[in-house]
Amino acid sequence: MSASRLTKGGRIDRSCRLGFTWDGRSFEGYAGDTLASALMASGETVLGRSFKYHRPRGIMSAGVEESGAIVTLGAGERAEPNTKATMVELYDGLTACGQNAWPNVRSDVGAALGLFGRFFSAGFYYKTFMGLPPFEWGRGTGIWMQYEKLIRKAAGMGEASRSADPDAYDHVHAFCDVLVVGSGPAGLNAALTAARQGKDVILVEQDFDLGGDLLNQSDPVAEAQRRELVAELKAANVRVMTRTTAFGLYDYGTAGLLERVTDHLAVKPAHAPRQRFWTVRAAATVLATGALERTVAFTNNDRPGVMTVAAARAYLNRFGVLPGRNIVLSTNNDSAYVTAAELARAGANVTLVDLRDRVSEVHMVAMKAAGVEVKTGLAPLKALGGKSVAGVVLARPRGKSWAAAETLACDLLLVSAGWSPVVNLVSHRGAKPVWDKDLACFLPAPCADNVVMAGSAAGHWNTGDCAASGIAAAKTAMGESAESPALGGAETPVKPLYEVRLPGKKTKSFVDPQHDVTAADVRLAHQEGFVSVEHLKRYTTLGMATDQGKMGNVIGLALMADALGKEIPEVGTTRFRPPYTPVAIGALAGRNTSSHFKVLRRTPLHDWNLRHGATMTDAGLWHRPWYFARKGETITEAYIREAATVRDTLGICDVSSLGKIAVQGPDASEFLNRVYSNAFAKLAVGKARYGIMLRDDGMVMDDGTTWRLAENDFLLTTTTTNAGKVMVWLEELLQLRWPDLKVHVTSVSDQWAGVSVAGPKARSDIMACLQDPAAVSADNLPFMGVIETRLKGGIKCLIARISFSGELAYEVYVPSDYGEVMMDLLWETAEPMGGCLYGLEALGTLRIEKGHVTGAELDGRVTIDDAGLGKMASARKPFIGSALRQRPDLLRADRPQLVGIFPKDRNQTFNGGALLCKPDEISGFGEGWVTAVTYSPALGHWIGLGYVSGGHTAWQGKAATATDPVRQGDIAVEIVSPHMFDPEGERMHG
Amino acid sequence: MANPISALQAVRRTGRFSTAATPRVTIEEITDFGLLQFAAWADALAETGAEAARVAGCSACPSPGQSVRGVNGTLLRVEPLKWWLVVPAGAKTPAPDLGPETGAVLDLLQSRCWLRISGSLAETVLNHFLPINLGSGAFADGAVATTAFHHTGVTLWRDVQGLNLLMPRSTARSLWDLLSESARQYGLAEK
Repeated sequence: MSASRLTKGGRIDRSCRLGFTWDGRSFEGYAGDTLASALMASGETVLGRSFKYHRPRGIMSAGVEESGAIVTLGAGERAEPNTKATMVELYDGLTACGQNAWPNVRSDVGAALGLFGRFFSAGFYYKTFMGLPPFEWGRGTGIWMQYEKLIRKAAGMGEASRSADPDAYDHVHAFCDVLVVGSGPAGLNAALTAARQGKDVILVEQDFDLGGDLLNQSDPVAEAQRRELVAELKAANVRVMTRTTAFGLYDYGTAGLLERVTDHLAVKPAHAPRQRFWTVRAAATVLATGALERTVAFTNNDRPGVMTVAAARAYLNRFGVLPGRNIVLSTNNDSAYVTAAELARAGANVTLVDLRDRVSEVHMVAMKAAGVEVKTGLAPLKALGGKSVAGVVLARPRGKSWAAAETLACDLLLVSAGWSPVVNLVSHRGAKPVWDKDLACFLPAPCADNVVMAGSAAGHWNTGDCAASGIAAAKTAMGESAESPALGGAETPVKPLYEVRLPGKKTKSFVDPQHDVTAADVRLAHQEGFVSVEHLKRYTTLGMATDQGKMGNVIGLALMADALGKEIPEVGTTRFRPPYTPVAIGALAGRNTSSHFKVLRRTPLHDWNLRHGATMTDAGLWHRPWYFARKGETITEAYIREAATVRDTLGICDVSSLGKIAVQGPDASEFLNRVYSNAFAKLAVGKARYGIMLRDDGMVMDDGTTWRLAENDFLLTTTTTNAGKVMVWLEELLQLRWPDLKVHVTSVSDQWAGVSVAGPKARSDIMACLQDPAAVSADNLPFMGVIETRLKGGIKCLIARISFSGELAYEVYVPSDYGEVMMDLLWETAEPMGGCLYGLEALGTLRIEKGHVTGAELDGRVTIDDAGLGKMASARKPFIGSALRQRPDLLRADRPQLVGIFPKDRNQTFNGGALLCKPDEISGFGEGWVTAVTYSPALGHWIGLGYVSGGHTAWQGKAATATDPVRQGDIAVEIVSPHMFDPEGERMHG
Repeated sequence: MANPISALQAVRRTGRFSTAATPRVTIEEITDFGLLQFAAWADALAETGAEAARVAGCSACPSPGQSVRGVNGTLLRVEPLKWWLVVPAGAKTPAPDLGPETGAVLDLLQSRCWLRISGSLAETVLNHFLPINLGSGAFADGAVATTAFHHTGVTLWRDVQGLNLLMPRSTARSLWDLLSESARQYGLAEK
């Protein structure tokens, strides 16, 4: 291959030189080049190494079907492996290198593996997984674990960076009447037809220029028509998206697009994403996705210098590169003739070899005029040469076999074995391609969705027919009747050709070069029983990964059909799956990474807490204060101090994240009475009640207090993490089970900033902050009382006297925007009193001391009786879960029940999650488990909560062991009542 | 009375935040507004709607997916049985008078943050997150939608000044960050 840049011609801008680096060496190209065209023009022939055998590979195509020039773009954290050089738009400063080779793709040590190629046939991995005979017969895969590392290092493709992707990506939704994919003659005409009728049209093109195959033509008339169409599209307000690939087609006209926004820019604009991932919903879709030229399986058909005919035409006419000087062009169809003439006119010595015995006179005349020698009845048998092609041995059909014929010297071997319409996208919609024997290709089947094929993707081979087909497709998509031109369009029919080989010869002829799948591999799969096309794909890796069957599918099917003695349609085809071309993981993630991975819910006191030294922790989507460490304090020291301060004086804790639901309506009390296990029908206005709600199956779902603010207005609180679940549950009950109840539920979680003020001095603190301090006197606001009053400054607030800590405690709620004002007021008084701010860790200590349950205890497996709250299950009324909680197994006396846990040696501790066992039966699941552990400043030692069979009364006087074989071992413990501190509740009622 | 503190007060700035010469997206937070919910029982829909319209100061209540601008504020039909009345700062509304057998009124003050997004690419930047067609033909002046923004339920309506977004207060800052980061590529002005 002796490619060279022509002094004129092509679409490149010769006035704009671009410098780039390939494998550490500097090169130059022009604006309008791809990386492949620039490297070809620079004389580079070996751009890759093959997957298994490390064979040298060069440029095989000029598009997405590339299987040879697969490279790594960029470096460091921006390294992107397995990129097709044919699709990379050149820019100044581009860096690329070869992959799967050492020290480089030109001289790869790994090429020695080719000597052992016969051992790396299809199924090599599976066979070695079975153990290495005779050492591992019947014993599995011990040795594999050792040589797997070597195999994985030797084979494969590029290596992704292990650093986080530094670039930004966007997701965007778009809508249109007609989505047109592909901007060849069919796509341009389809888009324009729809736009002329006033439709909102999006035209998508994966290339950086519009025109599809028109860009590869040298005809000035065609170019003028292209420019005219493009100008008219813009005038018609068609939304044109270049550098955008439609990678998938989904339900209801939804398409996935990937737009490359800055990949092609030397200087990336600030704030611009690297790529955008578009979800487009279209009323109708026209797929003008073109067709890919097939190659043929023959010996050494992967040598650098073997490429498709269409690719040579693209390099010549679009990029101004003459890809070879002495060219042999092999074909079985008419499409290669125009390229042969163009190459000859550009100065190459061209010999055209046609498998067909006869071709049209028109073509023969044209070849003669261009100086192209034509040889008929021949096909390529073997490419000669090592790192570049040096010649080709031809073969002539002999019956159903072949016989070697003459040898031609050449530096470029072009192959055209027919065309395969790109039916991938329509296949995503379940439309199975149908084999057309006359055209020797799969054609798209009709699609149930409003998806219409056009152009060569539909099987039209002439430019004029493609344009007419685009117009017809647009009309069909818009619901009009339209007639498409006849399929095909060749003057002389194609003569199918998939493989050329001599009988009995074992050679390397590739079906899927990207995965080193040979014709012999397909036959081996057949011999070993993998005759289903799906099994063939998986056993040989044919058409997998980034190729997705673009290059080798049809040849593979043809060879399997031959082996089975069937026709191609009887073998069937695999279903193409998205994505059509690779999509970066970053594009799938969009901006949902790092701090945006999930939405963060901030309480109205979030910033206030941080300013006052809070260390935050996750509580569902919320950030809540975990602890407020003083200088030099550890978390343990901080939470113990905070819990002790609450018991001694007072503490203030942000509880804004609790779920809050307004329950309104004349049937609200009846509704709550049905939802909660305990009675709510007679809850007085101005009172709060603790309630337990069960699931239908009788297990505890959530708990919380409900405040009756007015006759028909309740404020129901939930745990932080169950707020959404409870809200959905209540809506479901109202809409599906009890639509007759006049009740509305509305989430007001975000409306209120809430704090718990707990401790002996809590009342004093709140009084100091109120306009009317007497509002919270013991008489005005008894335990479980609720009032609406005002803070100093006139801020409306709700105050409920309820306690989770077991202390005299209040929850104070103000409208969210006044949360910080409330905290300033409360803290200004509390701090001089010796009070503290406390977080979730101290809150946990306080509630464990009291035996109050949270999500750790209410884990979905627990009944109300298990949690020690059975007395709250009313026997006088039905409620959700009341029937199924009576199932015999849920009433067993030996069910695990909530207990308190002390270490036998009070100086010891034990772990949450440990199993509770009898000391002489430490095995299996034990008798129960530990749900929570803390150091209790009130009791002076570690304590815990958990569940154990029969509850604490069954374990009185009996020894128990908390066993944690993974972390700590066995600790002797005592099982006690869960109410470990102030069991009578004197402090809370004080 | 003390000044209220918006959820976005800590992050909101005024100015241009991009390299683009002309901002094509403007994001403005509207503070100190009122938000009142009218919820009807199915058999009293007309009466509740009429009362909502009276409080809003408009002649009729909007149908689902629509809003009506009244003298006292904008009335949005956010659910088949629910209206939200968005009351700008300083506007006075008559007290709702809705009997318990007709419907329920709920003050949702400060449960939401209100953003107005305008500019030639306002729809585009919102469509980075909202999966609904915001073209002026599909989502015309007065249109209302309840949709999802980064898995968070939000309420959207269009008026002559642009697209308006009501976001839950607790998620407002996260959503603001996403919106403003995405908008910078188009040229962003914040008010």
